[in-house]
Amino acid sequence: MDMLRIDDLHRRFGEKEVLKGLNLSVPENSIFGFIGRNGAGKTTTMKTVLGLLRPDRGEITVAGEKVEFGQTATNRFIGYLPDVPEFYSFMNPQEYLYFCGEITGMDKKEIRSRTDELLELVGLQYEKHRVKGFSRGMKQRLGIAQALLNRPKLLICDEPTSALDPMGRKEILDILMQVREQTTVLFSTHILSDVERICTDIALLNDGKVAVQGKLSDIKTMYRSDEFLLETETEADLVAIQNAFPFVEKIGRTQLTFRERKHTQFDVLNFVTNHRIRLSKLDRVEPSLEDLFMEVVDK
Amino acid sequence: MKSLFAFMKKEILEQIRTGKIILLGLLFVLFGIMNPAIAKLTPWILESVADTMESSGMVITSVTITAMDSWTQFFKNIPIGLIAFVLIESSILTKEYSSGTLILSLTKGLERFKVVVTKATVLTVLWTICYWMCFGITYGYTAYFWDNSIAQNLIFSIVCWWVFGVMVVALMVVFSTLAKSNTGVLCGTGGVVFASYMLGMLPKCSKYMPSYLTDGNSLIYGLTDAEKYMPSLIIAAGLSVICLVISIPIFNKRHL
Repeated sequence: MDMLRIDDLHRRFGEKEVLKGLNLSVPENSIFGFIGRNGAGKTTTMKTVLGLLRPDRGEITVAGEKVEFGQTATNRFIGYLPDVPEFYSFMNPQEYLYFCGEITGMDKKEIRSRTDELLELVGLQYEKHRVKGFSRGMKQRLGIAQALLNRPKLLICDEPTSALDPMGRKEILDILMQVREQTTVLFSTHILSDVERICTDIALLNDGKVAVQGKLSDIKTMYRSDEFLLETETEADLVAIQNAFPFVEKIGRTQLTFRERKHTQFDVLNFVTNHRIRLSKLDRVEPSLEDLFMEVVDK
Repeated sequence: MKSLFAFMKKEILEQIRTGKIILLGLLFVLFGIMNPAIAKLTPWILESVADTMESSGMVITSVTITAMDSWTQFFKNIPIGLIAFVLIESSILTKEYSSGTLILSLTKGLERFKVVVTKATVLTVLWTICYWMCFGITYGYTAYFWDNSIAQNLIFSIVCWWVFGVMVVALMVVFSTLAKSNTGVLCGTGGVVFASYMLGMLPKCSKYMPSYLTDGNSLIYGLTDAEKYMPSLIIAAGLSVICLVISIPIFNKRHL
């Protein structure tokens, strides 16, 4: 089942049309990477899902229920972490989670146990200071705790790692990995290494529409290149191959790449066998998410 | 209901921890004490400047201070109290927009009308407590030094001013749901009050304007009948109710 479905979403701000018919489906129990450049419309999409912005056109369903602007009942399924979460600075983490639990309508006992559990998950269990002096990383962690408080079916994180140092980023990604069993995670980002690290599914947003969407592994296969990388032990061997096949491209002292045309790989391997050339590596080049992103964006 | 109480609890905690309650409390206690104190000190002040005044040709003879002087001071000082109140509390809702704190509460399922109801309630209660506390202190000291009974329509005049304050609070709420920042709230609220004073200068309109309620002196000196205040009292109360009621649908439609 799709935890989140967006059909033909349109939204403009004045003259600028930010979303031009966006379609998206987020499968249950996935970690869904929502990728796009700054200003591509990621935050607009998320805020519309949360009922904070009214769409010009289109329909959104969360857990099968239609999202309404204003009084948004579907928000009971959702935990939300904004890009820069802001809390009441006069409260400490524990007080803030209690407050969140109370406005969600959880009972006292559950609020208490859930608060302890989540503060431990995000490493803030010993933090008794008020939020006022918190670093960005700490705020982000408290943000995840508040988002998970009422056991949401869908956790929406808006660029949770963008403003953090490598250590903070690792912490957040680890937490997101951990909560995968409990909830579906949708997170927007432009940091592709984060996506490769934890996402199961992705959607690439470009020019107000989703350009590519699906399982990360499927997409990588689909866009697999026909490029091979070959590494020899000596430079002389490499020169020999290069002389026999002028179309190969030397990229290092002992490394070359070539593209598969008509059985090129077999011809090269034949040559290698006949001339008893020792290889250290023969590899099919995997497309990086970055190449994929560039390809989609440049189209 | 539970979420409404939780949000209200947060609001009160905020008022306490950010020091606003203490600030307002001190301010209104100070005003409460100042009103009779200034009246009490008037003869002494006049005496100390008597020599200088005499040289410029003014002769001060005996000065009799009564409760009326204390209440005149009250009606002179309370507008400053209200202005301070508006300045201190003007960002009560707009600060939540600019910082984004409200987004987390609303995405947790807090219904929007509860936000407006909470803010309006807290502001009205705060104004009421501050105002009546100030009145109570002035009343006590004035009763101790002089005789309050010489002031006519005292309680009615005090109620009139309180209603005017409630109307200002209601204006703050409605402009908070419309404006982006507290500057907008201050301009909107100030603008309406200013317009009311301006129109009040036209003899035909004056008794219908809410600002008419602030003329407590005419009441206590018995220069005007209490009945003459009824139209403006009804209009101010009606305007307050309208402001509070329309602020809910306005806030419901607001993009955050």
